[in-house]
Amino acid sequence: MSSSHHISLKMGRGTSCSSSSIESSTEQQRKDLSTDLRLGLSISTSSQHHNTSFSREHQPSDWPPIKPLLRKALEAEENESNSATFFVKVYMEGIPIGRKLDLLAHDGYHDLITTLDHMFNTSILWSEMDGSYSDRNYHVLTYEDKEGDWMMVGDVPWEMFLSTVRRLKITRA
Amino acid sequence: MNYFPDEVIEHVFDFIASHKDRNAVSLVCKSWYKIERISRRRVFIGNCYAISPERVIERFPELKSLTLKGKPHFADFNLVPHDWGGFVQPWIEALVKHRVGLEELRLKRMVISDESLERLSKAFVNFKTLVLVSCEGFTTDGLAAIAANCRFLRELDLQENEVEDHRGHWISCFPESCTSLVSLNFACLKGDINLTALERLVARSPNLTSLRLNRAVPLDTLQRILMRAPQLVDLGTGSFLHDPASGASSKLKATLLKCNSIRTLSGFLEVSPRCLTAIYPVCQNLNSLNLSYAPGIHGHDLIKLIQHCRKLERLWILDSIGDKGLGVVASTCKELQELRVFPSDPYGAGNATVTEEGLVAISAGCPKLHSLLYFCQQMTNAALITVAKNCSNFTRFRLCILDPIKPDPVTMQPLDEGFGAIVQSCKRLRRLSLSGLLTDQVFLYIGMYAEQLEMLSIAFAGNSDKGMLYVLNGCKKLRKLEIRDSPFGNTALLTDVGKYETMRSLWMSSCEITLVGCEILAKKMPMLNVEIINDEDDIAPSSEDILRVGKMYLYRTLVGSRKDAPWFVDIL
Repeated sequence: MSSSHHISLKMGRGTSCSSSSIESSTEQQRKDLSTDLRLGLSISTSSQHHNTSFSREHQPSDWPPIKPLLRKALEAEENESNSATFFVKVYMEGIPIGRKLDLLAHDGYHDLITTLDHMFNTSILWSEMDGSYSDRNYHVLTYEDKEGDWMMVGDVPWEMFLSTVRRLKITRA
Repeated sequence: MNYFPDEVIEHVFDFIASHKDRNAVSLVCKSWYKIERISRRRVFIGNCYAISPERVIERFPELKSLTLKGKPHFADFNLVPHDWGGFVQPWIEALVKHRVGLEELRLKRMVISDESLERLSKAFVNFKTLVLVSCEGFTTDGLAAIAANCRFLRELDLQENEVEDHRGHWISCFPESCTSLVSLNFACLKGDINLTALERLVARSPNLTSLRLNRAVPLDTLQRILMRAPQLVDLGTGSFLHDPASGASSKLKATLLKCNSIRTLSGFLEVSPRCLTAIYPVCQNLNSLNLSYAPGIHGHDLIKLIQHCRKLERLWILDSIGDKGLGVVASTCKELQELRVFPSDPYGAGNATVTEEGLVAISAGCPKLHSLLYFCQQMTNAALITVAKNCSNFTRFRLCILDPIKPDPVTMQPLDEGFGAIVQSCKRLRRLSLSGLLTDQVFLYIGMYAEQLEMLSIAFAGNSDKGMLYVLNGCKKLRKLEIRDSPFGNTALLTDVGKYETMRSLWMSSCEITLVGCEILAKKMPMLNVEIINDEDDIAPSSEDILRVGKMYLYRTLVGSRKDAPWFVDIL
């Protein structure tokens, strides 16, 4: 699954109009298309020569086939979630140099812990986890709140956490 | 059939509601034609340009309810320029002139101005129902006229319209004496609304069963409205955000416990997932849930919500639910009849999508499923074949793979066999949309097996004219065919011209047909309007393109070419 989702249909039409010659030329184009797909701005024959590849700013308004109202609603949501950021400092005990993390880029606690696990190459305990774990490879995640107190991450709803967190600290369990 | 006096026959006809049946009845003999036309109250016009308003009124003088459709379906996807047509004004003028006692008007993909809305509101004393779907051309001023002047208004239903919003005072235009509202839907309006006026309106509408709010209505207003209207059956929330500390959520939950008639739920135009627990009490009785405008609800919370909805018959959702989430739907919603999965990230890299796995799970778990719209990342032949085996009841099957010519990712084959299995198994299939890499073979299958097919949508499919011909020759009940970006040319277009008189319309864009071919067709078939829609931005086509037609829309008509076509439309 290619991550750069550029689909282009150079459904190049031959200049001849007879259908028999189209059959073979389209077959060839199909094979080309399966390896390199970029969807042009408009795929009508009259603007064949545009053939512009598109970035996220120049997306076709007629594909995929969804109604304009839905399209706008989804784009608005995307802009909202892309433009807002909230970076906090994260320190790991014993390491003087900290990291920075955008909390708004995460859906919730699960998402945040996953990122931190990767960032610091460890496994993090937080308040929603159950079961017992050996002390060896685990760390605990805490945060400093607006009042300057250090609290365990995960007790309050995510939105409330976002409104009160100032920075994060990972300490040995 | 001359044994009974006319009044008796008319009484019998009263029991015949469907317009198809009434059309059939009117063809039996002159006397039945006469009786039927005098007694018909509801008229459905599938293409406003197929007939003139004068002829409709002449034939059905007692008409009370009119439904009109204007632009072709692909107009929903920006393929038809604005100002193409579909103006309702001449219809309203004719209805006024002939003193028709209009009570209901339902429009789809038409253009209606504020002047027309005002005319409507003043000319028809008993006007009760206005339903506008995917329409444009009006502002909230027009709505103010409807609110102010229609004394017996029961239904004002605005679905997915482009409305210029002059900010909320239209709601205040409902007079204090207006207490007849049964259904009010203004979810598509973008602007602010006078909240107090809204609350008062709800308070004086004891018959209100359907209410769909827009984004500007906050949670606390919703809670107060629900206190006044616990009898609601259909609810569309506006904004569903609140401060967790405020307690609004638990207040709402308590109010909702009293609203035990709610069967349809939609909205959540802005949402914070924590608020969703407030609606759990309503979920157990829900038949219909539409979360397609709620991208703010993520997979996790979505799944928790759905687990409460065991009686769901209709579900519209975004693909952020994922294949796993669809698995939960399959095991929870055993009564499911209709499923629509929309793309949450139409151009995205595939983070939040569904694949063939989700569809297979649904088909296995939901035996009553008959209507599907499914936007997905990929599909396999094996999956489609399994779906066809599990669910042979499909009446509507619409698949859209986000990469429109993607083959089966496992075998790299076209999806001909998969769709072939669908049409062969689903003998009652009336509507089909194809997607993925497809050759002429799929059309051979469709022509052979899809005997009940009425509407077919084709995009980026087929190899040659043979494909289109298989469909035109095989599908006897075909009424609407819409094709884009497929290599069908003049031979396909011209081989069976008589077929188009048995259909409502044909759309072809970015295909291989030429102007010459369209001209030949128009000449042979005077009962068809063949419209060439040129791109508004086009100044001059290049020499290569000069023969090929960008967009063609043809439809049968009894009244010749329309006089209201804009400069960029040529009617041949």
